[in-house]
Amino acid sequence: MTACRAYTTERLSAFADGDLSAAEAAAVRAHAATCPDCTAALADLRALVSNTARLDAPEPPPTLWPSIAGALDKHERRGWFSIANWRPFAVGALAGAAVVLAIVALPALRGPRNGVPAGSPIAETAATSPAVADPLLHEAEAEFAEAAAAYERSIEKLRGLLARQEARWSPQERTRMAERLGRLDDAIARSRELARRTPGDSAGNEQLFAAYQQKIAFLAAAVHRGGEAGEWDKAGARTP
Amino acid sequence: MDNASAAMSVKPPTKPMLGATAQLTAQLPIDGLRLKARAAAEAKVQPDNDAALVDAIRRGDAGSREALYHRFKRRVYALAVRIVGTVDAEEVAQEAFIRIFRGLTKFRGDAALATWIYRLAVNAALSHRSRRAAAAQPEAPDAVDAQAGAEPVRGDAVLRVRIERALARLPVGYRTVIVLHDVEGLEHEEVAQILGCHVGTSKSQLHKARARLREMLAADGITAAALENG
Repeated sequence: MTACRAYTTERLSAFADGDLSAAEAAAVRAHAATCPDCTAALADLRALVSNTARLDAPEPPPTLWPSIAGALDKHERRGWFSIANWRPFAVGALAGAAVVLAIVALPALRGPRNGVPAGSPIAETAATSPAVADPLLHEAEAEFAEAAAAYERSIEKLRGLLARQEARWSPQERTRMAERLGRLDDAIARSRELARRTPGDSAGNEQLFAAYQQKIAFLAAAVHRGGEAGEWDKAGARTP
Repeated sequence: MDNASAAMSVKPPTKPMLGATAQLTAQLPIDGLRLKARAAAEAKVQPDNDAALVDAIRRGDAGSREALYHRFKRRVYALAVRIVGTVDAEEVAQEAFIRIFRGLTKFRGDAALATWIYRLAVNAALSHRSRRAAAAQPEAPDAVDAQAGAEPVRGDAVLRVRIERALARLPVGYRTVIVLHDVEGLEHEEVAQILGCHVGTSKSQLHKARARLREMLAADGITAAALENG
Protein backbone atom coordinates (compact mmCIF):
# COMPACT_ATOMS: atom_id res chain seq x y z
CA MET A 1 0.00 0.00 0.00
CA THR A 2 1.43 3.30 -0.94
CA ALA A 3 0.57 6.93 -0.34
CA CYS A 4 1.99 7.72 -3.74
CA ARG A 5 -0.68 7.55 -6.42
CA ALA A 6 1.64 7.44 -9.40
CA TYR A 7 1.18 3.68 -9.81
CA THR A 8 -1.44 1.30 -8.49
CA THR A 9 -0.50 -1.90 -6.64
CA GLU A 10 -1.72 -3.74 -9.72
CA ARG A 11 0.73 -1.89 -11.98
CA LEU A 12 3.53 -2.36 -9.50
CA SER A 13 2.78 -6.08 -9.45
CA ALA A 14 2.97 -6.18 -13.25
CA PHE A 15 6.26 -4.29 -13.08
CA ALA A 16 7.62 -6.70 -10.49
CA ASP A 17 6.77 -9.68 -12.70
CA GLY A 18 8.26 -8.07 -15.81
CA ASP A 19 4.86 -7.87 -17.47
CA LEU A 20 5.09 -4.19 -18.49
CA SER A 21 6.44 -2.99 -21.78
CA ALA A 22 10.06 -1.86 -21.78
CA ALA A 23 9.00 1.78 -21.86
CA GLU A 24 6.53 1.42 -19.00
CA ALA A 25 9.00 -0.58 -16.96
CA ALA A 26 11.66 2.08 -17.45
CA ALA A 27 9.24 4.75 -16.30
CA VAL A 28 8.28 2.79 -13.17
CA ARG A 29 11.92 2.04 -12.41
CA ALA A 30 12.86 5.70 -12.74
CA HIS A 31 9.96 6.75 -10.55
CA ALA A 32 10.64 4.14 -7.87
CA ALA A 33 14.24 5.23 -7.66
CA THR A 34 13.09 8.58 -6.28
CA CYS A 35 9.86 7.52 -4.51
CA PRO A 36 10.21 5.86 -1.11
CA ASP A 37 6.50 4.94 -1.08
CA CYS A 38 6.65 3.01 -4.32
CA THR A 39 9.96 1.40 -3.35
CA ALA A 40 8.32 0.25 -0.11
CA ALA A 41 5.24 -0.93 -1.96
CA LEU A 42 7.40 -3.02 -4.29
CA ALA A 43 9.19 -4.58 -1.33
CA ASP A 44 5.82 -5.19 0.27
CA LEU A 45 4.54 -6.98 -2.83
CA ARG A 46 7.72 -9.01 -3.05
CA ALA A 47 7.22 -10.16 0.54
CA LEU A 48 3.57 -10.98 -0.10
CA VAL A 49 4.42 -13.17 -3.09
CA SER A 50 7.23 -14.82 -1.16
CA ASN A 51 4.93 -15.64 1.76
CA THR A 52 2.16 -16.84 -0.54
CA ALA A 53 4.61 -19.17 -2.26
CA ARG A 54 5.49 -20.72 1.09
CA LEU A 55 1.92 -21.65 2.02
CA ASP A 56 1.67 -25.29 2.96
CA ALA A 57 -0.02 -27.91 0.83
CA PRO A 58 -2.31 -29.72 3.25
CA GLU A 59 -2.09 -33.50 3.38
CA PRO A 60 -5.32 -35.09 2.16
CA PRO A 61 -7.20 -37.28 4.60
CA PRO A 62 -6.27 -40.97 4.55
CA THR A 63 -9.80 -41.84 3.49
CA LEU A 64 -9.41 -40.09 0.14
CA TRP A 65 -7.64 -42.81 -1.84
CA PRO A 66 -9.90 -45.64 -0.59
CA SER A 67 -12.90 -43.52 -1.56
CA ILE A 68 -11.52 -42.94 -5.04
CA ALA A 69 -10.51 -46.58 -5.51
CA GLY A 70 -13.93 -47.72 -4.31
CA ALA A 71 -15.76 -45.32 -6.63
CA LEU A 72 -13.65 -46.41 -9.62
CA ASP A 73 -14.15 -50.05 -8.79
CA LYS A 74 -17.90 -49.57 -8.52
CA HIS A 75 -18.00 -47.65 -11.78
CA GLU A 76 -16.00 -50.32 -13.58
CA ARG A 77 -18.16 -53.14 -12.26
CA ARG A 78 -21.16 -51.28 -13.65
CA GLY A 79 -19.25 -50.61 -16.83
CA TRP A 80 -18.65 -54.33 -17.29
CA PHE A 81 -22.37 -54.72 -17.42
CA SER A 82 -22.90 -51.67 -19.59
CA ILE A 83 -24.67 -52.05 -22.88
CA ALA A 84 -21.36 -51.48 -24.64
CA ASN A 85 -20.16 -54.77 -23.23
CA TRP A 86 -23.43 -56.59 -23.48
CA ARG A 87 -24.46 -55.33 -26.89
CA PRO A 88 -22.38 -57.93 -28.75
CA PHE A 89 -23.98 -60.59 -26.63
CA ALA A 90 -27.46 -59.19 -27.08
CA VAL A 91 -26.82 -58.81 -30.77
CA GLY A 92 -25.47 -62.33 -30.70
CA ALA A 93 -28.71 -63.54 -29.19
CA LEU A 94 -30.66 -61.77 -31.91
CA ALA A 95 -28.28 -63.08 -34.53
CA GLY A 96 -28.72 -66.55 -33.11
CA ALA A 97 -32.45 -66.17 -33.38
CA ALA A 98 -32.05 -64.95 -36.94
CA VAL A 99 -29.99 -68.02 -37.77
CA VAL A 100 -32.70 -70.14 -36.25
CA LEU A 101 -35.22 -68.33 -38.40
CA ALA A 102 -33.18 -68.70 -41.55
CA ILE A 103 -31.99 -72.28 -41.23
CA VAL A 104 -33.94 -74.15 -38.63
CA ALA A 105 -37.38 -72.73 -39.08
CA LEU A 106 -37.62 -72.75 -42.85
CA PRO A 107 -39.51 -76.06 -42.83
CA ALA A 108 -41.97 -74.55 -40.41
CA LEU A 109 -42.48 -71.56 -42.69
CA ARG A 110 -43.21 -73.90 -45.56
CA GLY A 111 -45.68 -75.80 -43.43
CA PRO A 112 -49.34 -75.15 -42.78
CA ARG A 113 -50.25 -71.48 -42.26
CA ASN A 114 -53.11 -71.99 -39.89
CA GLY A 115 -51.17 -71.23 -36.69
CA VAL A 116 -52.51 -69.21 -33.86
CA PRO A 117 -51.42 -65.58 -33.49
CA ALA A 118 -48.14 -65.13 -31.71
CA GLY A 119 -48.03 -63.55 -28.31
CA SER A 120 -45.07 -62.50 -26.23
CA PRO A 121 -44.89 -64.46 -23.01
CA ILE A 122 -42.91 -61.67 -21.45
CA ALA A 123 -44.83 -58.53 -20.88
CA GLU A 124 -42.98 -57.19 -17.93
CA THR A 125 -39.91 -55.14 -18.69
CA ALA A 126 -37.44 -53.05 -16.79
CA ALA A 127 -40.00 -50.27 -16.82
CA THR A 128 -41.12 -51.81 -13.57
CA SER A 129 -37.75 -51.14 -12.01
CA PRO A 130 -37.82 -48.84 -9.05
CA ALA A 131 -36.83 -45.24 -9.44
CA VAL A 132 -33.08 -44.94 -9.29
CA ALA A 133 -31.66 -41.73 -7.91
CA ASP A 134 -28.02 -42.20 -8.85
CA PRO A 135 -27.59 -41.08 -12.48
CA LEU A 136 -24.90 -43.71 -13.14
CA LEU A 137 -27.07 -46.39 -11.67
CA HIS A 138 -29.99 -45.11 -13.69
CA GLU A 139 -27.85 -45.33 -16.81
CA ALA A 140 -26.77 -48.88 -15.97
CA GLU A 141 -30.37 -49.91 -15.34
CA ALA A 142 -31.43 -48.45 -18.68
CA GLU A 143 -28.69 -50.45 -20.36
CA PHE A 144 -29.76 -53.65 -18.62
CA ALA A 145 -33.32 -52.95 -19.73
CA GLU A 146 -32.14 -52.47 -23.31
CA ALA A 147 -30.29 -55.80 -23.27
CA ALA A 148 -33.32 -57.50 -21.70
CA ALA A 149 -35.53 -56.03 -24.41
CA ALA A 150 -33.22 -57.48 -27.07
CA TYR A 151 -33.58 -60.94 -25.51
CA GLU A 152 -37.32 -60.54 -25.35
CA ARG A 153 -37.54 -59.62 -29.02
CA SER A 154 -35.65 -62.82 -29.86
CA ILE A 155 -37.99 -64.82 -27.66
CA GLU A 156 -41.03 -63.21 -29.21
CA LYS A 157 -39.90 -64.11 -32.72
CA LEU A 158 -39.21 -67.72 -31.78
CA ARG A 159 -42.48 -67.90 -29.91
CA GLY A 160 -44.30 -66.65 -33.00
CA LEU A 161 -42.73 -69.37 -35.12
CA LEU A 162 -43.59 -72.03 -32.61
CA ALA A 163 -47.18 -70.81 -32.37
CA ARG A 164 -47.72 -71.67 -36.04
CA GLN A 165 -47.00 -75.29 -35.27
CA GLU A 166 -49.05 -75.58 -32.13
CA ALA A 167 -52.29 -76.00 -34.03
CA ARG A 168 -51.12 -79.44 -35.09
CA TRP A 169 -50.32 -80.53 -31.57
CA SER A 170 -52.51 -82.52 -29.27
CA PRO A 171 -54.02 -80.80 -26.22
CA GLN A 172 -51.56 -82.73 -24.03
CA GLU A 173 -48.60 -81.47 -26.03
CA ARG A 174 -49.84 -77.92 -25.76
CA THR A 175 -50.21 -78.34 -22.02
CA ARG A 176 -46.65 -79.68 -21.67
CA MET A 177 -45.32 -76.83 -23.74
CA ALA A 178 -47.27 -74.34 -21.63
CA GLU A 179 -45.88 -75.91 -18.43
CA ARG A 180 -42.30 -75.80 -19.64
CA LEU A 181 -42.57 -72.25 -20.90
CA GLY A 182 -44.21 -71.39 -17.60
CA ARG A 183 -41.22 -72.75 -15.66
CA LEU A 184 -38.84 -70.80 -17.87
CA ASP A 185 -40.95 -67.68 -17.39
CA ASP A 186 -40.93 -68.27 -13.62
CA ALA A 187 -37.13 -68.44 -13.69
CA ILE A 188 -37.03 -65.20 -15.67
CA ALA A 189 -39.47 -63.54 -13.29
CA ARG A 190 -37.45 -64.63 -10.23
CA SER A 191 -34.24 -63.37 -11.80
CA ARG A 192 -35.88 -60.12 -12.77
CA GLU A 193 -37.09 -59.66 -9.22
CA LEU A 194 -33.58 -60.34 -7.91
CA ALA A 195 -32.17 -57.80 -10.34
CA ARG A 196 -34.87 -55.32 -9.34
CA ARG A 197 -34.04 -55.72 -5.65
CA THR A 198 -30.32 -55.19 -6.27
CA PRO A 199 -30.15 -52.52 -8.97
CA GLY A 200 -26.80 -52.29 -10.67
CA ASP A 201 -25.57 -55.49 -9.04
CA SER A 202 -24.08 -57.99 -11.45
CA ALA A 203 -25.49 -61.18 -9.91
CA GLY A 204 -29.15 -60.44 -10.53
CA ASN A 205 -28.60 -59.38 -14.10
CA GLU A 206 -26.30 -62.31 -14.85
CA GLN A 207 -29.01 -64.65 -13.64
CA LEU A 208 -31.68 -62.83 -15.62
CA PHE A 209 -29.69 -63.00 -18.82
CA ALA A 210 -28.92 -66.68 -18.21
CA ALA A 211 -32.65 -67.33 -17.82
CA TYR A 212 -33.36 -65.53 -21.09
CA GLN A 213 -30.68 -67.59 -22.83
CA GLN A 214 -32.17 -70.80 -21.48
CA LYS A 215 -35.58 -69.89 -22.82
CA ILE A 216 -34.15 -68.92 -26.20
CA ALA A 217 -32.27 -72.22 -26.41
CA PHE A 218 -35.40 -74.16 -25.51
CA LEU A 219 -37.58 -72.31 -28.01
CA ALA A 220 -34.98 -72.62 -30.76
CA ALA A 221 -34.71 -76.36 -30.18
CA ALA A 222 -38.50 -76.66 -30.07
CA VAL A 223 -38.89 -74.77 -33.35
CA HIS A 224 -36.18 -76.91 -34.91
CA ARG A 225 -37.82 -80.17 -33.82
CA GLY A 226 -41.39 -79.03 -34.03
CA GLY A 227 -42.03 -79.50 -37.74
CA GLU A 228 -44.14 -82.48 -36.91
CA ALA A 229 -46.51 -82.88 -34.03
CA GLY A 230 -44.79 -84.08 -30.88
CA GLU A 231 -41.29 -83.70 -32.26
CA TRP A 232 -40.48 -80.66 -30.14
CA ASP A 233 -40.59 -82.79 -27.01
CA LYS A 234 -37.99 -85.31 -28.18
CA ALA A 235 -34.70 -85.69 -26.36
CA GLY A 236 -32.24 -83.01 -27.32
CA ALA A 237 -34.51 -80.07 -26.80
CA ARG A 238 -33.21 -78.38 -23.65
CA THR A 239 -35.94 -78.34 -21.11
CA PRO A 240 -36.12 -76.45 -17.88
CA MET B 1 13.53 -9.23 -16.25
CA ASP B 2 14.85 -6.53 -13.89
CA ASN B 3 16.00 -6.97 -10.30
CA ALA B 4 12.59 -6.34 -8.84
CA SER B 5 11.08 -8.93 -11.13
CA ALA B 6 13.79 -11.46 -10.40
CA ALA B 7 13.23 -11.06 -6.69
CA MET B 8 9.61 -12.16 -7.14
CA SER B 9 10.42 -15.44 -8.78
CA VAL B 10 7.91 -18.15 -8.06
CA LYS B 11 8.59 -21.40 -6.31
CA PRO B 12 8.70 -24.66 -8.26
CA PRO B 13 5.65 -26.92 -8.18
CA THR B 14 5.23 -29.14 -5.17
CA LYS B 15 7.39 -32.23 -5.44
CA PRO B 16 5.66 -35.55 -5.99
CA MET B 17 4.74 -37.52 -2.91
CA LEU B 18 5.16 -41.15 -3.82
CA GLY B 19 3.66 -44.11 -2.05
CA ALA B 20 3.20 -42.44 1.29
CA THR B 21 -0.11 -43.92 2.33
CA ALA B 22 -0.22 -47.36 0.80
CA GLN B 23 0.18 -49.04 4.16
CA LEU B 24 -2.35 -46.76 5.78
CA THR B 25 -4.77 -47.36 2.95
CA ALA B 26 -4.39 -51.10 3.40
CA GLN B 27 -5.36 -50.75 7.05
CA LEU B 28 -8.60 -48.93 6.45
CA PRO B 29 -11.79 -50.93 6.79
CA ILE B 30 -13.27 -49.37 3.67
CA ASP B 31 -14.63 -51.83 1.15
CA GLY B 32 -13.08 -54.79 2.83
CA LEU B 33 -10.30 -57.17 1.99
CA ARG B 34 -10.44 -56.62 -1.75
CA LEU B 35 -9.22 -53.05 -1.43
CA LYS B 36 -6.62 -54.00 1.14
CA ALA B 37 -5.18 -56.63 -1.14
CA ARG B 38 -5.26 -54.34 -4.10
CA ALA B 39 -3.61 -51.50 -2.19
CA ALA B 40 -0.80 -53.82 -1.18
CA ALA B 41 -0.32 -54.94 -4.78
CA GLU B 42 -0.57 -51.45 -6.22
CA ALA B 43 1.98 -50.02 -3.84
CA LYS B 44 4.69 -51.89 -5.74
CA VAL B 45 4.45 -50.02 -9.04
CA GLN B 46 5.51 -46.41 -9.33
CA PRO B 47 7.01 -45.43 -12.67
CA ASP B 48 9.31 -42.45 -12.39
CA ASN B 49 8.10 -40.17 -15.16
CA ASP B 50 4.61 -39.04 -15.99
CA ALA B 51 4.47 -40.55 -19.48
CA ALA B 52 5.50 -43.97 -18.20
CA LEU B 53 2.96 -43.72 -15.43
CA VAL B 54 0.18 -42.84 -17.88
CA ASP B 55 1.18 -45.79 -20.05
CA ALA B 56 1.17 -48.07 -17.03
CA ILE B 57 -2.34 -46.92 -16.11
CA ARG B 58 -3.56 -47.46 -19.65
CA ARG B 59 -2.13 -50.97 -19.59
CA GLY B 60 -3.90 -51.56 -16.29
CA ASP B 61 -0.68 -52.22 -14.38
CA ALA B 62 -1.29 -52.92 -10.74
CA GLY B 63 -0.47 -49.98 -8.54
CA SER B 64 -0.18 -47.45 -11.34
CA ARG B 65 -3.32 -45.56 -10.42
CA GLU B 66 -2.35 -45.29 -6.81
CA ALA B 67 1.11 -44.10 -7.84
CA LEU B 68 -0.45 -41.29 -9.85
CA TYR B 69 -2.70 -40.46 -6.94
CA HIS B 70 0.25 -40.14 -4.58
CA ARG B 71 2.15 -38.07 -7.09
CA PHE B 72 -0.60 -35.47 -7.37
CA LYS B 73 -2.71 -35.84 -4.25
CA ARG B 74 -1.32 -32.88 -2.34
CA ARG B 75 -1.57 -30.54 -5.28
CA VAL B 76 -5.12 -31.58 -6.12
CA TYR B 77 -6.28 -31.57 -2.53
CA ALA B 78 -4.63 -28.22 -1.73
CA LEU B 79 -6.27 -26.70 -4.78
CA ALA B 80 -9.63 -28.07 -3.66
CA VAL B 81 -9.17 -26.74 -0.13
CA ARG B 82 -8.36 -23.28 -1.43
CA ILE B 83 -11.19 -23.11 -3.94
CA VAL B 84 -14.05 -24.77 -2.03
CA GLY B 85 -12.80 -24.96 1.60
CA THR B 86 -11.87 -27.97 3.71
CA VAL B 87 -15.44 -29.13 4.30
CA ASP B 88 -15.96 -29.95 0.63
CA ALA B 89 -12.35 -30.46 -0.40
CA GLU B 90 -12.31 -34.24 -0.02
CA GLU B 91 -15.44 -34.60 -2.13
CA VAL B 92 -14.01 -32.31 -4.79
CA ALA B 93 -10.63 -34.06 -4.78
CA GLN B 94 -12.39 -37.40 -5.13
CA GLU B 95 -14.42 -36.11 -8.06
CA ALA B 96 -11.28 -34.65 -9.63
CA PHE B 97 -9.36 -37.92 -9.40
CA ILE B 98 -12.28 -39.88 -10.79
CA ARG B 99 -12.38 -37.49 -13.75
CA ILE B 100 -8.63 -37.86 -14.10
CA PHE B 101 -8.66 -41.66 -14.17
CA ARG B 102 -11.65 -41.84 -16.48
CA GLY B 103 -10.18 -39.21 -18.77
CA LEU B 104 -6.66 -40.65 -18.99
CA THR B 105 -7.58 -42.68 -22.06
CA LYS B 106 -8.25 -39.38 -23.83
CA PHE B 107 -5.15 -37.62 -22.52
CA ARG B 108 -2.99 -37.06 -25.59
CA GLY B 109 -0.03 -35.40 -23.97
CA ASP B 110 -0.62 -32.06 -25.68
CA ALA B 111 -0.18 -30.44 -22.28
CA ALA B 112 1.95 -31.57 -19.38
CA LEU B 113 0.22 -34.18 -17.26
CA ALA B 114 0.32 -31.85 -14.25
CA THR B 115 -1.32 -29.05 -16.21
CA TRP B 116 -4.03 -31.39 -17.45
CA ILE B 117 -4.62 -32.66 -13.92
CA TYR B 118 -4.80 -29.13 -12.55
CA ARG B 119 -7.37 -28.30 -15.21
CA LEU B 120 -9.59 -31.21 -14.22
CA ALA B 121 -9.16 -30.35 -10.55
CA VAL B 122 -10.04 -26.69 -11.10
CA ASN B 123 -13.05 -27.70 -13.20
CA ALA B 124 -14.22 -30.11 -10.53
CA ALA B 125 -13.86 -27.42 -7.86
CA LEU B 126 -15.61 -24.73 -9.89
CA SER B 127 -18.41 -27.12 -10.88
CA HIS B 128 -18.86 -27.95 -7.24
CA ARG B 129 -19.14 -24.28 -6.36
CA SER B 130 -21.66 -23.76 -9.16
CA ARG B 131 -23.78 -26.65 -7.93
CA ARG B 132 -23.70 -25.27 -4.42
CA ALA B 133 -24.69 -21.86 -5.67
CA ALA B 134 -27.52 -23.36 -7.72
CA ALA B 135 -28.72 -25.24 -4.66
CA ALA B 136 -28.47 -22.00 -2.68
CA GLN B 137 -26.52 -23.73 0.05
CA PRO B 138 -24.46 -21.59 2.38
CA GLU B 139 -20.75 -21.37 1.71
CA ALA B 140 -18.62 -23.87 3.53
CA PRO B 141 -16.93 -22.41 6.58
CA ASP B 142 -13.54 -21.01 5.80
CA ALA B 143 -11.09 -23.85 6.10
CA VAL B 144 -8.29 -21.74 7.40
CA ASP B 145 -10.43 -19.97 9.97
CA ALA B 146 -11.33 -23.34 11.37
CA GLN B 147 -7.72 -24.39 11.36
CA ALA B 148 -6.63 -21.17 13.02
CA GLY B 149 -9.16 -21.59 15.75
CA ALA B 150 -8.22 -25.17 16.38
CA GLU B 151 -4.64 -24.61 17.44
CA PRO B 152 -2.56 -21.60 18.36
CA VAL B 153 -0.07 -20.53 15.74
CA ARG B 154 2.97 -18.35 16.11
CA GLY B 155 5.39 -16.28 14.06
CA ASP B 156 5.22 -16.71 10.32
CA ALA B 157 2.64 -19.46 10.80
CA VAL B 158 0.26 -16.74 12.01
CA LEU B 159 1.03 -14.71 8.93
CA ARG B 160 0.37 -17.67 6.66
CA VAL B 161 -2.93 -18.37 8.34
CA ARG B 162 -3.91 -14.76 7.77
CA ILE B 163 -2.86 -14.94 4.17
CA GLU B 164 -4.94 -18.11 3.79
CA ARG B 165 -7.92 -16.34 5.34
CA ALA B 166 -7.55 -13.41 2.99
CA LEU B 167 -7.18 -15.77 0.03
CA ALA B 168 -10.40 -17.50 1.03
CA ARG B 169 -12.21 -14.16 0.89
CA LEU B 170 -10.98 -13.27 -2.57
CA PRO B 171 -13.45 -13.63 -5.45
CA VAL B 172 -13.05 -17.16 -6.77
CA GLY B 173 -11.59 -16.04 -10.10
CA TYR B 174 -8.84 -14.04 -8.43
CA ARG B 175 -8.31 -16.77 -5.89
CA THR B 176 -7.90 -19.46 -8.53
CA VAL B 177 -5.33 -17.49 -10.48
CA ILE B 178 -3.28 -16.54 -7.45
CA VAL B 179 -3.36 -20.10 -6.13
CA LEU B 180 -2.25 -21.56 -9.45
CA HIS B 181 0.46 -18.99 -10.10
CA ASP B 182 1.78 -17.81 -6.76
CA VAL B 183 1.00 -20.78 -4.53
CA GLU B 184 1.38 -23.70 -6.92
CA GLY B 185 4.10 -22.03 -8.93
CA LEU B 186 2.65 -22.48 -12.42
CA GLU B 187 3.61 -20.27 -15.33
CA HIS B 188 1.02 -18.00 -16.93
CA GLU B 189 0.96 -20.19 -20.02
CA GLU B 190 -0.06 -23.13 -17.86
CA VAL B 191 -2.60 -21.07 -15.91
CA ALA B 192 -4.13 -19.89 -19.18
CA GLN B 193 -4.37 -23.49 -20.42
CA ILE B 194 -6.00 -24.59 -17.21
CA LEU B 195 -8.51 -21.75 -17.11
CA GLY B 196 -9.08 -21.61 -20.84
CA CYS B 197 -8.13 -17.96 -21.14
CA HIS B 198 -5.42 -15.87 -22.75
CA VAL B 199 -2.04 -15.48 -21.10
CA GLY B 200 -2.66 -11.74 -20.89
CA THR B 201 -5.88 -12.36 -19.02
CA SER B 202 -4.09 -14.62 -16.57
CA LYS B 203 -1.50 -11.93 -15.96
CA SER B 204 -3.97 -9.10 -15.51
CA GLN B 205 -6.12 -11.22 -13.20
CA LEU B 206 -3.09 -12.12 -11.12
CA HIS B 207 -2.02 -8.51 -10.64
CA LYS B 208 -5.55 -7.50 -9.70
CA ALA B 209 -5.74 -10.44 -7.33
CA ARG B 210 -2.48 -9.53 -5.61
CA ALA B 211 -3.60 -5.92 -5.25
CA ARG B 212 -6.90 -7.05 -3.69
CA LEU B 213 -5.12 -9.50 -1.43
CA ARG B 214 -2.74 -6.80 -0.24
CA GLU B 215 -5.68 -4.51 0.52
CA MET B 216 -7.36 -7.23 2.54
CA LEU B 217 -4.24 -7.97 4.53
CA ALA B 218 -3.74 -4.27 5.22
CA ALA B 219 -7.34 -4.08 6.40
CA ASP B 220 -6.55 -7.01 8.71
CA GLY B 221 -3.64 -5.07 10.14
CA ILE B 222 -0.92 -6.99 8.34
CA THR B 223 1.85 -4.47 7.84
CA ALA B 224 4.61 -4.45 5.29
CA ALA B 225 7.03 -5.19 8.12
CA ALA B 226 5.04 -8.25 9.11
CA LEU B 227 5.09 -9.49 5.55
CA GLU B 228 8.80 -8.89 5.19
CA ASN B 229 9.58 -10.62 8.48
CA GLY B 230 7.25 -13.52 7.73
